[in-house]
Amino acid sequence: MKIRGVLIDDTFAEAFGMRAARIVITASNERWARVAAEQMTGFATSVIACKCEAAIERELGPEDTPDSRPGVSVLLFAMDTDGLGKRLIERIGQTVLTCPTTSCFDGLPGTPERLKPGKALRVFGDRFQSSKMIGGERYWRIPVMEGEFLVQESFGVQKKGVGGGNFLILADDAASGLAAAEAAVTAIAGSPGVILPFPGGVVRSGSKVGARGYANMIASTNDAFCPTLRLTTDSALSEGVNSVLEIVLDGLDSPAIVEAMRTGILAACRPGVRAISAGNYGGGLGPYHFHLRKIMDGAS
Amino acid sequence: MSDNVSLSLRAPLDGVLEVEGVAGDRFAALSELEIAALPVVMRSRPAKLGDFFDVRGGLSSNVRIEGDLSCVHRLAAGMTGGRVHVVGNVGDEAGLAMAGGVLWIEGNAGDRLGAAPAGASKGMSGGEIIVTGSAGADAAMRTRRGLVVVAGDVGTDAARAMLAGTLVAFGRVGARPGRGSKRGSIVALGGIDVPETYWLACTYQPPYVRLLLTYLRRTHSLAVDDRMLDGSYRRHCGDAGNPGRGEILEWVNA
Repeated sequence: MKIRGVLIDDTFAEAFGMRAARIVITASNERWARVAAEQMTGFATSVIACKCEAAIERELGPEDTPDSRPGVSVLLFAMDTDGLGKRLIERIGQTVLTCPTTSCFDGLPGTPERLKPGKALRVFGDRFQSSKMIGGERYWRIPVMEGEFLVQESFGVQKKGVGGGNFLILADDAASGLAAAEAAVTAIAGSPGVILPFPGGVVRSGSKVGARGYANMIASTNDAFCPTLRLTTDSALSEGVNSVLEIVLDGLDSPAIVEAMRTGILAACRPGVRAISAGNYGGGLGPYHFHLRKIMDGAS
Repeated sequence: MSDNVSLSLRAPLDGVLEVEGVAGDRFAALSELEIAALPVVMRSRPAKLGDFFDVRGGLSSNVRIEGDLSCVHRLAAGMTGGRVHVVGNVGDEAGLAMAGGVLWIEGNAGDRLGAAPAGASKGMSGGEIIVTGSAGADAAMRTRRGLVVVAGDVGTDAARAMLAGTLVAFGRVGARPGRGSKRGSIVALGGIDVPETYWLACTYQPPYVRLLLTYLRRTHSLAVDDRMLDGSYRRHCGDAGNPGRGEILEWVNA
Protein backbone atom coordinates (compact mmCIF):
# COMPACT_ATOMS: atom_id res chain seq x y z
CA MET A 1 0.00 0.00 0.00
CA LYS A 2 1.22 3.47 -0.88
CA ILE A 3 -0.26 6.87 -0.04
CA ARG A 4 1.03 9.74 -2.18
CA GLY A 5 4.05 7.59 -2.97
CA VAL A 6 4.78 6.74 0.67
CA LEU A 7 4.92 3.03 1.51
CA ILE A 8 2.65 1.93 4.37
CA ASP A 9 4.43 -1.02 6.00
CA ASP A 10 2.49 -4.20 6.55
CA THR A 11 2.90 -4.06 10.29
CA PHE A 12 1.09 -2.93 13.42
CA ALA A 13 1.45 -0.74 16.47
CA GLU A 14 1.21 -2.64 19.71
CA ALA A 15 -0.49 -0.80 22.58
CA PHE A 16 -1.49 -1.39 26.18
CA GLY A 17 -4.53 -0.87 28.38
CA MET A 18 -4.27 2.11 30.69
CA ARG A 19 -6.44 4.02 33.13
CA ALA A 20 -7.21 7.58 32.15
CA ALA A 21 -8.69 10.76 33.59
CA ARG A 22 -9.74 13.99 31.91
CA ILE A 23 -9.01 17.11 33.92
CA VAL A 24 -10.62 20.41 33.01
CA ILE A 25 -8.66 23.41 34.23
CA THR A 26 -10.27 26.83 34.05
CA ALA A 27 -8.81 30.22 34.84
CA SER A 28 -9.50 33.92 34.52
CA ASN A 29 -8.05 33.84 31.01
CA GLU A 30 -6.55 31.45 28.45
CA ARG A 31 -3.02 32.24 29.53
CA TRP A 32 -3.37 31.07 33.12
CA ALA A 33 -5.41 28.02 32.16
CA ARG A 34 -2.64 27.02 29.78
CA VAL A 35 0.09 27.76 32.30
CA ALA A 36 -1.51 25.35 34.77
CA ALA A 37 -2.12 22.72 32.11
CA GLU A 38 1.45 22.89 30.86
CA GLN A 39 2.76 22.55 34.40
CA MET A 40 0.44 19.65 35.06
CA THR A 41 1.55 17.79 31.96
CA GLY A 42 5.24 18.47 32.41
CA PHE A 43 7.56 15.46 32.77
CA ALA A 44 4.80 13.08 31.77
CA THR A 45 6.06 11.55 28.54
CA SER A 46 6.26 7.90 29.49
CA VAL A 47 5.09 5.74 32.38
CA ILE A 48 8.49 4.08 32.30
CA ALA A 49 10.08 6.93 34.24
CA CYS A 50 7.37 9.54 34.80
CA LYS A 51 4.75 7.22 36.37
CA CYS A 52 2.13 8.70 34.07
CA GLU A 53 1.60 10.09 30.61
CA ALA A 54 -0.23 13.36 30.16
CA ALA A 55 -0.76 16.16 27.69
CA ILE A 56 -3.19 18.85 26.71
CA GLU A 57 -6.16 17.44 24.80
CA ARG A 58 -7.62 20.74 23.66
CA GLU A 59 -8.44 24.28 24.65
CA LEU A 60 -11.95 25.01 25.81
CA GLY A 61 -14.08 28.08 25.37
CA PRO A 62 -16.21 29.50 28.20
CA GLU A 63 -19.24 27.73 26.75
CA ASP A 64 -17.50 24.36 27.23
CA THR A 65 -16.44 24.72 30.85
CA PRO A 66 -18.48 24.29 34.03
CA ASP A 67 -17.82 27.84 35.27
CA SER A 68 -18.01 29.75 31.96
CA ARG A 69 -14.33 30.58 31.96
CA PRO A 70 -11.63 29.74 29.42
CA GLY A 71 -10.16 26.34 30.05
CA VAL A 72 -7.90 23.55 28.97
CA SER A 73 -8.67 19.85 28.88
CA VAL A 74 -5.88 17.52 29.98
CA LEU A 75 -5.74 13.75 29.65
CA LEU A 76 -3.67 11.81 32.17
CA PHE A 77 -2.88 8.11 31.84
CA ALA A 78 -1.44 5.62 34.33
CA MET A 79 -1.02 1.87 34.38
CA ASP A 80 -3.61 1.26 37.13
CA THR A 81 -6.34 3.06 39.05
CA ASP A 82 -4.25 3.37 42.19
CA GLY A 83 -1.43 5.02 40.29
CA LEU A 84 -3.83 7.31 38.50
CA GLY A 85 -5.25 8.48 41.82
CA LYS A 86 -1.80 9.28 43.21
CA ARG A 87 -0.76 11.20 40.12
CA LEU A 88 -3.98 13.23 40.16
CA ILE A 89 -3.43 14.26 43.77
CA GLU A 90 0.23 15.13 43.15
CA ARG A 91 -0.27 17.01 39.95
CA ILE A 92 -3.49 18.88 40.75
CA GLY A 93 -2.05 19.73 44.16
CA GLN A 94 1.30 20.98 42.94
CA THR A 95 0.44 22.58 39.63
CA VAL A 96 -3.22 23.64 39.60
CA LEU A 97 -3.87 24.51 43.22
CA THR A 98 -0.74 26.64 43.18
CA CYS A 99 -1.53 28.44 39.94
CA PRO A 100 -3.32 31.82 40.14
CA THR A 101 -7.05 31.99 39.35
CA THR A 102 -7.51 28.33 38.44
CA SER A 103 -10.30 25.91 39.26
CA CYS A 104 -10.25 22.19 38.50
CA PHE A 105 -13.08 19.96 37.30
CA ASP A 106 -13.69 16.39 36.17
CA GLY A 107 -13.95 16.00 32.42
CA LEU A 108 -15.47 12.51 32.44
CA PRO A 109 -18.89 13.03 34.06
CA GLY A 110 -21.06 9.97 34.31
CA THR A 111 -18.11 7.58 34.41
CA PRO A 112 -19.01 5.00 37.06
CA GLU A 113 -15.55 4.35 38.48
CA ARG A 114 -14.44 7.41 40.46
CA LEU A 115 -11.35 8.67 42.22
CA LYS A 116 -11.47 11.43 44.80
CA PRO A 117 -8.40 13.62 44.48
CA GLY A 118 -10.43 16.64 45.57
CA LYS A 119 -11.24 14.94 48.85
CA ALA A 120 -7.55 14.33 49.46
CA LEU A 121 -6.56 17.85 48.50
CA ARG A 122 -9.17 19.46 50.73
CA VAL A 123 -6.99 18.96 53.81
CA PHE A 124 -4.65 21.64 52.50
CA GLY A 125 -7.38 23.90 53.80
CA ASP A 126 -6.46 22.89 57.36
CA ARG A 127 -10.11 22.53 58.39
CA PHE A 128 -10.99 25.94 56.95
CA GLN A 129 -12.17 24.24 53.76
CA SER A 130 -15.85 23.78 52.98
CA SER A 131 -17.78 21.76 50.47
CA LYS A 132 -20.77 22.51 48.28
CA MET A 133 -23.04 20.22 46.30
CA ILE A 134 -24.05 21.44 42.85
CA GLY A 135 -26.02 19.24 40.49
CA GLY A 136 -25.25 16.16 42.56
CA GLU A 137 -21.48 16.77 42.53
CA ARG A 138 -19.42 17.81 45.50
CA TYR A 139 -16.91 20.64 45.17
CA TRP A 140 -14.30 21.70 47.70
CA ARG A 141 -13.59 25.33 48.43
CA ILE A 142 -10.05 25.59 49.74
CA PRO A 143 -9.00 28.97 51.09
CA VAL A 144 -5.71 30.18 49.62
CA MET A 145 -3.83 33.45 49.89
CA GLU A 146 -5.20 34.65 46.57
CA GLY A 147 -8.78 33.87 47.53
CA GLU A 148 -10.22 30.42 47.04
CA PHE A 149 -9.32 27.30 45.06
CA LEU A 150 -12.27 25.28 43.81
CA VAL A 151 -11.80 21.61 42.98
CA GLN A 152 -14.32 18.92 42.18
CA GLU A 153 -14.21 16.07 44.65
CA SER A 154 -14.34 13.11 42.31
CA PHE A 155 -12.93 12.42 38.86
CA GLY A 156 -14.03 9.70 36.47
CA VAL A 157 -11.71 6.84 35.55
CA GLN A 158 -11.77 5.61 31.96
CA LYS A 159 -10.96 1.91 32.19
CA LYS A 160 -10.70 1.44 28.43
CA GLY A 161 -7.80 3.82 28.00
CA VAL A 162 -5.11 2.82 25.51
CA GLY A 163 -1.47 3.82 25.76
CA GLY A 164 1.30 3.39 23.21
CA GLY A 165 -0.47 3.72 19.89
CA ASN A 166 2.24 4.80 17.49
CA PHE A 167 3.57 5.16 14.01
CA LEU A 168 7.07 5.74 12.66
CA ILE A 169 7.99 8.21 9.95
CA LEU A 170 10.89 6.92 7.87
CA ALA A 171 12.36 9.89 6.01
CA ASP A 172 15.08 10.77 3.52
CA ASP A 173 16.61 13.22 5.96
CA ALA A 174 16.04 14.78 9.37
CA ALA A 175 14.41 17.94 8.00
CA SER A 176 11.87 16.01 5.93
CA GLY A 177 11.13 13.71 8.85
CA LEU A 178 10.57 16.61 11.21
CA ALA A 179 8.34 18.44 8.73
CA ALA A 180 6.24 15.30 8.31
CA ALA A 181 6.04 14.77 12.08
CA GLU A 182 4.99 18.37 12.60
CA ALA A 183 2.31 17.99 9.96
CA ALA A 184 1.04 14.85 11.68
CA VAL A 185 0.97 16.53 15.09
CA THR A 186 -0.89 19.52 13.69
CA ALA A 187 -3.43 17.24 12.03
CA ILE A 188 -4.01 15.19 15.18
CA ALA A 189 -4.21 18.23 17.50
CA GLY A 190 -7.65 18.59 18.98
CA SER A 191 -8.72 15.04 18.16
CA PRO A 192 -11.19 14.17 20.91
CA GLY A 193 -9.91 11.71 23.48
CA VAL A 194 -6.32 11.58 22.21
CA ILE A 195 -3.03 13.05 23.39
CA LEU A 196 0.54 12.95 22.15
CA PRO A 197 2.52 12.90 25.42
CA PHE A 198 6.04 13.39 24.06
CA PRO A 199 7.78 16.73 23.44
CA GLY A 200 5.86 18.60 20.80
CA GLY A 201 4.06 15.31 20.13
CA VAL A 202 7.18 13.75 18.61
CA VAL A 203 9.64 11.09 19.82
CA ARG A 204 13.11 10.87 18.36
CA SER A 205 14.29 8.10 20.69
CA GLY A 206 11.88 5.23 20.22
CA SER A 207 12.70 2.30 22.48
CA LYS A 208 12.63 -1.46 22.55
CA VAL A 209 11.89 -3.58 25.60
CA GLY A 210 14.99 -4.28 27.71
CA ALA A 211 18.55 -4.03 26.42
CA ARG A 212 21.15 -6.28 24.89
CA GLY A 213 24.06 -5.04 26.95
CA TYR A 214 22.51 -4.04 30.29
CA ALA A 215 20.38 -6.45 32.26
CA ASN A 216 18.79 -3.82 34.47
CA MET A 217 17.49 -1.60 31.67
CA ILE A 218 13.71 -1.63 31.20
CA ALA A 219 14.01 -0.03 27.78
CA SER A 220 16.78 0.92 25.43
CA THR A 221 17.23 2.47 22.01
CA ASN A 222 15.25 0.93 19.18
CA ASP A 223 18.38 -0.01 17.26
CA ALA A 224 16.44 -1.57 14.40
CA PHE A 225 15.22 1.92 13.47
CA CYS A 226 18.43 3.85 14.13
CA PRO A 227 19.87 4.97 10.76
CA THR A 228 23.41 5.08 12.12
CA LEU A 229 23.20 1.37 12.95
CA ARG A 230 21.76 0.25 9.62
CA LEU A 231 24.83 -1.83 8.81
CA THR A 232 25.74 -2.89 12.35
CA THR A 233 22.49 -4.28 13.71
CA ASP A 234 19.49 -6.23 12.45
CA SER A 235 18.06 -3.08 10.86
CA ALA A 236 14.50 -2.51 9.73
CA LEU A 237 15.58 0.40 7.54
CA SER A 238 16.13 0.32 3.83
CA GLU A 239 18.86 2.24 2.09
CA GLY A 240 18.04 5.93 1.78
CA VAL A 241 16.27 6.22 5.13
CA ASN A 242 18.39 8.66 7.11
CA SER A 243 16.02 9.73 9.91
CA VAL A 244 13.11 8.20 11.81
CA LEU A 245 10.67 9.95 14.11
CA GLU A 246 7.85 8.39 16.11
CA ILE A 247 4.42 9.71 16.99
CA VAL A 248 3.08 8.11 20.20
CA LEU A 249 -0.62 8.36 20.94
CA ASP A 250 -2.62 7.70 24.11
CA GLY A 251 -6.39 7.58 23.82
CA LEU A 252 -9.49 7.24 25.91
CA ASP A 253 -10.40 4.22 23.82
CA SER A 254 -9.26 2.22 20.82
CA PRO A 255 -11.45 3.94 18.18
CA ALA A 256 -10.03 7.33 19.20
CA ILE A 257 -6.51 6.02 18.56
CA VAL A 258 -7.47 4.57 15.18
CA GLU A 259 -9.02 7.83 14.04
CA ALA A 260 -6.06 9.91 15.18
CA MET A 261 -3.54 7.51 13.62
CA ARG A 262 -5.37 7.69 10.31
CA THR A 263 -5.38 11.49 10.44
CA GLY A 264 -1.73 11.69 11.43
CA ILE A 265 -0.41 9.16 8.93
CA LEU A 266 -2.29 10.82 6.11
CA ALA A 267 -0.71 14.16 7.01
CA ALA A 268 2.75 12.59 7.31
CA CYS A 269 2.65 11.12 3.80
CA ARG A 270 4.46 13.94 2.06
CA PRO A 271 7.59 14.50 -0.04
CA GLY A 272 10.78 13.34 1.65
CA VAL A 273 9.04 10.50 3.50
CA ARG A 274 9.80 6.97 2.25
CA ALA A 275 7.64 4.86 4.50
CA ILE A 276 5.36 4.74 7.52
CA SER A 277 5.98 1.92 9.95
CA ALA A 278 5.05 1.14 13.55
CA GLY A 279 6.57 -0.16 16.75
CA ASN A 280 5.58 -3.48 18.24
CA TYR A 281 6.97 -6.22 20.42
CA GLY A 282 5.95 -9.11 18.24
CA GLY A 283 2.34 -8.95 19.36
CA GLY A 284 2.83 -10.84 22.59
CA LEU A 285 2.81 -7.98 25.09
CA GLY A 286 0.08 -5.48 24.30
CA PRO A 287 -3.55 -6.46 23.74
CA TYR A 288 -4.18 -3.69 21.22
CA HIS A 289 -2.81 -4.14 17.68
CA PHE A 290 -3.29 -1.26 15.28
CA HIS A 291 -2.57 -2.58 11.79
CA LEU A 292 -1.44 0.30 9.62
CA ARG A 293 -2.89 -1.00 6.37
CA LYS A 294 -6.27 -1.72 7.93
CA ILE A 295 -6.36 1.75 9.43
CA MET A 296 -5.37 3.42 6.20
CA ASP A 297 -7.53 1.27 3.94
CA GLY A 298 -9.60 3.72 1.94
CA ALA A 299 -8.08 6.74 3.69
CA SER A 300 -6.03 7.85 0.72
CA MET B 1 -46.07 4.19 33.19
CA SER B 2 -46.42 7.70 31.76
CA ASP B 3 -43.89 10.42 30.94
CA ASN B 4 -45.18 12.54 33.73
CA VAL B 5 -47.95 12.95 36.23
CA SER B 6 -50.13 15.98 35.72
CA LEU B 7 -52.25 17.58 38.44
CA SER B 8 -54.65 20.40 37.58
CA LEU B 9 -56.46 22.29 40.29
CA ARG B 10 -60.14 21.85 39.55
CA ALA B 11 -61.44 24.98 41.29
CA PRO B 12 -60.03 27.75 43.47
CA LEU B 13 -59.50 26.60 47.05
CA ASP B 14 -61.42 28.25 49.85
CA GLY B 15 -59.16 27.04 52.66
CA VAL B 16 -55.76 25.61 53.50
CA LEU B 17 -54.99 22.29 51.84
CA GLU B 18 -52.10 20.24 53.23
CA VAL B 19 -50.61 17.83 50.67
CA GLU B 20 -47.62 16.23 52.32
CA GLY B 21 -47.48 13.23 50.00
CA VAL B 22 -47.15 15.09 46.71
CA ALA B 23 -43.55 14.30 45.77
CA GLY B 24 -41.76 13.01 42.70
CA ASP B 25 -40.25 9.95 44.35
CA ARG B 26 -43.60 8.91 45.80
CA PHE B 27 -45.52 9.32 42.55
CA ALA B 28 -42.99 7.12 40.78
CA ALA B 29 -44.50 4.12 42.55
CA LEU B 30 -48.18 5.10 42.34
CA SER B 31 -50.77 4.66 39.62
CA GLU B 32 -53.16 7.41 38.58
CA LEU B 33 -55.88 6.02 40.83
CA GLU B 34 -53.54 5.66 43.78
CA ILE B 35 -52.35 9.24 43.37
CA ALA B 36 -55.90 10.51 43.27
CA ALA B 37 -56.61 8.56 46.44
CA LEU B 38 -53.69 10.03 48.40
CA PRO B 39 -54.83 11.45 51.73
CA VAL B 40 -54.72 15.22 52.15
CA VAL B 41 -56.07 17.56 54.81
CA MET B 42 -58.52 20.31 53.88
CA ARG B 43 -59.22 22.80 56.65
CA SER B 44 -58.19 20.18 59.21
CA ARG B 45 -60.49 17.53 57.70
CA PRO B 46 -59.29 14.42 55.86
CA ALA B 47 -59.87 14.33 52.13
CA LYS B 48 -58.32 12.89 48.96
CA LEU B 49 -56.04 14.56 46.47
CA GLY B 50 -58.44 13.68 43.68
CA ASP B 51 -61.16 15.72 45.39
CA PHE B 52 -59.33 18.88 44.36
CA PHE B 53 -57.11 17.95 41.42
CA ASP B 54 -57.62 16.28 38.08
CA VAL B 55 -54.92 13.62 37.98
CA ARG B 56 -53.46 12.34 34.73
CA GLY B 57 -50.73 9.72 34.52
CA GLY B 58 -48.90 7.63 37.06
CA LEU B 59 -45.72 5.74 37.86
CA SER B 60 -43.53 8.73 37.04
CA SER B 61 -41.29 10.89 39.20
CA ASN B 62 -41.81 13.83 36.86
CA VAL B 63 -44.76 15.80 38.20
CA ARG B 64 -46.40 18.92 36.78
CA ILE B 65 -48.97 20.83 38.81
CA GLU B 66 -51.03 23.73 37.51
CA GLY B 67 -53.20 26.21 39.36
CA ASP B 68 -53.02 28.80 42.08
CA LEU B 69 -51.75 26.76 45.00
CA SER B 70 -51.31 29.71 47.37
CA CYS B 71 -53.42 27.84 49.91
CA VAL B 72 -51.63 24.52 49.36
CA HIS B 73 -49.09 23.82 52.08
CA ARG B 74 -46.25 21.30 52.37
CA LEU B 75 -45.97 20.62 48.68
CA ALA B 76 -43.05 18.24 48.00
CA ALA B 77 -42.32 17.99 51.72
CA GLY B 78 -39.77 15.29 52.41
CA MET B 79 -39.22 14.62 48.70
CA THR B 80 -36.17 12.44 48.06
CA GLY B 81 -36.06 12.43 44.27
CA GLY B 82 -37.79 13.27 41.02
CA ARG B 83 -39.01 16.62 39.81
CA VAL B 84 -42.07 18.61 40.76
CA HIS B 85 -42.83 21.56 38.49
CA VAL B 86 -45.51 23.92 39.73
CA VAL B 87 -47.02 26.48 37.40
CA GLY B 88 -48.53 28.92 39.86
CA ASN B 89 -47.96 30.18 43.39
CA VAL B 90 -47.55 27.78 46.30
CA GLY B 91 -48.33 28.12 49.99
CA ASP B 92 -46.24 27.60 53.10
CA GLU B 93 -43.63 24.91 53.78
CA ALA B 94 -43.04 23.88 50.18
CA GLY B 95 -40.09 21.52 50.04
CA LEU B 96 -40.11 21.18 53.81
CA ALA B 97 -37.20 18.94 54.87
CA MET B 98 -36.59 17.95 51.27
CA ALA B 99 -33.82 15.39 50.78
CA GLY B 100 -33.46 15.17 47.01
CA GLY B 101 -34.91 15.95 43.61
CA VAL B 102 -35.95 19.29 42.17
CA LEU B 103 -38.91 21.45 43.14
CA TRP B 104 -39.47 24.09 40.47
CA ILE B 105 -42.01 26.77 41.34
CA GLU B 106 -43.04 29.07 38.53
CA GLY B 107 -44.54 31.66 40.85
CA ASN B 108 -44.22 32.77 44.46
CA ALA B 109 -43.68 30.61 47.52
CA GLY B 110 -45.03 31.16 51.03
CA ASP B 111 -43.21 30.99 54.35
CA ARG B 112 -40.70 28.34 55.47
CA LEU B 113 -39.65 27.33 51.98
CA GLY B 114 -37.27 24.35 52.28
CA ALA B 115 -37.25 24.79 56.03
CA ALA B 116 -37.25 22.36 58.96
CA PRO B 117 -40.48 20.95 60.37
CA ALA B 118 -41.51 22.47 63.68
CA GLY B 119 -39.23 21.20 66.42
CA ALA B 120 -36.84 19.43 64.05
CA SER B 121 -33.12 20.14 64.27
CA LYS B 122 -32.56 19.84 60.52
CA GLY B 123 -34.37 21.17 57.49
CA MET B 124 -33.54 20.39 53.91
CA SER B 125 -30.87 17.74 53.55
CA GLY B 126 -30.56 17.67 49.76
CA GLY B 127 -32.14 18.54 46.45
CA GLU B 128 -32.87 21.84 44.80
CA ILE B 129 -35.71 24.32 45.08
CA ILE B 130 -36.06 26.96 42.40
CA VAL B 131 -38.63 29.75 42.79
CA THR B 132 -39.05 32.13 39.88
CA GLY B 133 -40.99 34.62 42.01
CA SER B 134 -40.53 35.60 45.63
CA ALA B 135 -40.47 33.64 48.87
CA GLY B 136 -41.83 34.39 52.33
CA ALA B 137 -40.23 34.32 55.78
CA ASP B 138 -37.91 31.67 57.15
CA ALA B 139 -36.75 30.35 53.78
CA ALA B 140 -34.03 27.68 54.06
CA MET B 141 -34.35 27.61 57.85
CA ARG B 142 -32.05 24.98 59.46
CA THR B 143 -30.98 23.73 56.04
CA ARG B 144 -28.42 20.95 56.36
CA ARG B 145 -27.59 20.53 52.68
CA GLY B 146 -29.20 21.46 49.40
CA LEU B 147 -29.87 24.52 47.35
CA VAL B 148 -32.69 27.07 47.55
CA VAL B 149 -32.83 29.64 44.77
CA VAL B 150 -35.27 32.52 44.71
CA ALA B 151 -35.36 34.71 41.63
CA GLY B 152 -37.26 37.45 43.43
CA ASP B 153 -37.22 38.78 46.97
CA VAL B 154 -36.85 36.65 50.09
CA GLY B 155 -38.70 37.42 53.31
CA THR B 156 -37.44 37.97 56.82
CA ASP B 157 -35.28 35.53 58.80
CA ALA B 158 -33.94 33.79 55.72
CA ALA B 159 -31.45 30.97 56.32
CA ARG B 160 -32.02 31.11 60.06
CA ALA B 161 -29.88 28.62 62.01
CA MET B 162 -28.58 27.21 58.76
CA LEU B 163 -26.30 24.19 59.22
CA ALA B 164 -24.92 24.15 55.67
CA GLY B 165 -26.40 24.40 52.20
CA THR B 166 -26.96 27.48 50.09
CA LEU B 167 -29.65 30.11 49.66
CA VAL B 168 -29.38 32.23 46.52
CA ALA B 169 -31.54 35.34 46.32
CA PHE B 170 -31.64 37.32 43.09
CA GLY B 171 -33.95 39.86 44.71
CA ARG B 172 -33.67 41.63 48.05
CA VAL B 173 -33.21 39.60 51.21
CA GLY B 174 -35.42 40.57 54.15
CA ALA B 175 -34.40 41.51 57.67
CA ARG B 176 -32.30 39.33 59.98
CA PRO B 177 -30.77 36.99 57.40
CA GLY B 178 -28.50 34.15 58.50
CA ARG B 179 -29.28 34.54 62.19
CA GLY B 180 -27.60 31.72 64.12
CA SER B 181 -26.09 30.26 60.96
CA LYS B 182 -23.41 27.66 61.59
CA ARG B 183 -22.01 26.94 58.15
CA GLY B 184 -24.38 27.82 55.36
CA SER B 185 -24.08 30.32 52.54
CA ILE B 186 -26.37 33.15 51.52
CA VAL B 187 -25.62 34.49 48.06
CA ALA B 188 -27.27 37.90 47.92
CA LEU B 189 -27.53 39.30 44.41
CA GLY B 190 -30.24 41.92 44.92
CA GLY B 191 -29.32 43.65 48.14
CA ILE B 192 -29.13 42.63 51.77
CA ASP B 193 -28.83 44.32 55.14
CA VAL B 194 -25.98 42.39 56.67
CA PRO B 195 -26.58 41.79 60.40
CA GLU B 196 -24.14 43.33 62.86
CA THR B 197 -23.17 39.84 63.96
CA TYR B 198 -21.47 39.28 60.60
CA TRP B 199 -18.04 40.71 59.82
CA LEU B 200 -16.62 41.64 56.47
CA ALA B 201 -13.71 39.32 55.68
CA CYS B 202 -12.79 40.44 52.19
CA THR B 203 -14.08 41.38 48.75
CA TYR B 204 -13.23 38.76 46.14
CA GLN B 205 -14.52 36.68 43.25
CA PRO B 206 -15.65 33.36 44.72
CA PRO B 207 -15.16 30.63 42.10
CA TYR B 208 -17.93 28.65 43.76
CA VAL B 209 -20.51 31.37 43.05
CA ARG B 210 -19.41 31.53 39.44
CA LEU B 211 -19.83 27.76 39.10
CA LEU B 212 -23.20 27.85 40.84
CA LEU B 213 -24.58 30.69 38.72
CA THR B 214 -23.39 28.99 35.54
CA TYR B 215 -25.15 25.84 36.68
CA LEU B 216 -28.38 27.75 37.37
CA ARG B 217 -28.22 29.42 33.98
CA ARG B 218 -27.53 26.23 32.05
CA THR B 219 -29.55 23.68 33.97
CA HIS B 220 -32.49 25.74 35.18
CA SER B 221 -32.47 28.45 32.48
CA LEU B 222 -32.43 31.22 35.07
CA ALA B 223 -31.55 34.68 33.81
CA VAL B 224 -28.12 35.30 35.26
CA ASP B 225 -26.51 38.63 34.49
CA ASP B 226 -22.94 38.29 33.21
CA ARG B 227 -21.97 40.94 35.76
CA MET B 228 -22.94 38.51 38.50
CA LEU B 229 -20.60 35.91 37.05
CA ASP B 230 -17.70 38.30 36.61
CA GLY B 231 -18.34 40.50 39.60
CA SER B 232 -16.89 40.77 43.07
CA TYR B 233 -18.56 39.73 46.29
CA ARG B 234 -18.19 40.90 49.86
CA ARG B 235 -17.69 37.93 52.13
CA HIS B 236 -19.32 38.50 55.50
CA CYS B 237 -18.66 35.78 58.09
CA GLY B 238 -20.91 34.86 60.98
CA ASP B 239 -23.07 34.39 62.80
CA ALA B 240 -20.98 35.70 65.65
CA GLY B 241 -23.79 35.08 68.07
CA ASN B 242 -23.69 31.33 67.39
CA PRO B 243 -20.66 31.31 66.73
CA GLY B 244 -20.51 29.83 63.28
CA ARG B 245 -18.77 29.60 59.96
CA GLY B 246 -21.65 30.85 57.93
CA GLU B 247 -21.18 33.36 55.18
CA ILE B 248 -23.07 36.02 53.31
CA LEU B 249 -21.69 36.61 49.84
CA GLU B 250 -22.98 40.00 48.83
CA TRP B 251 -22.66 40.91 45.18
CA VAL B 252 -20.91 44.23 44.67
CA ASN B 253 -22.94 45.67 41.83
CA ALA B 254 -20.57 47.91 39.92
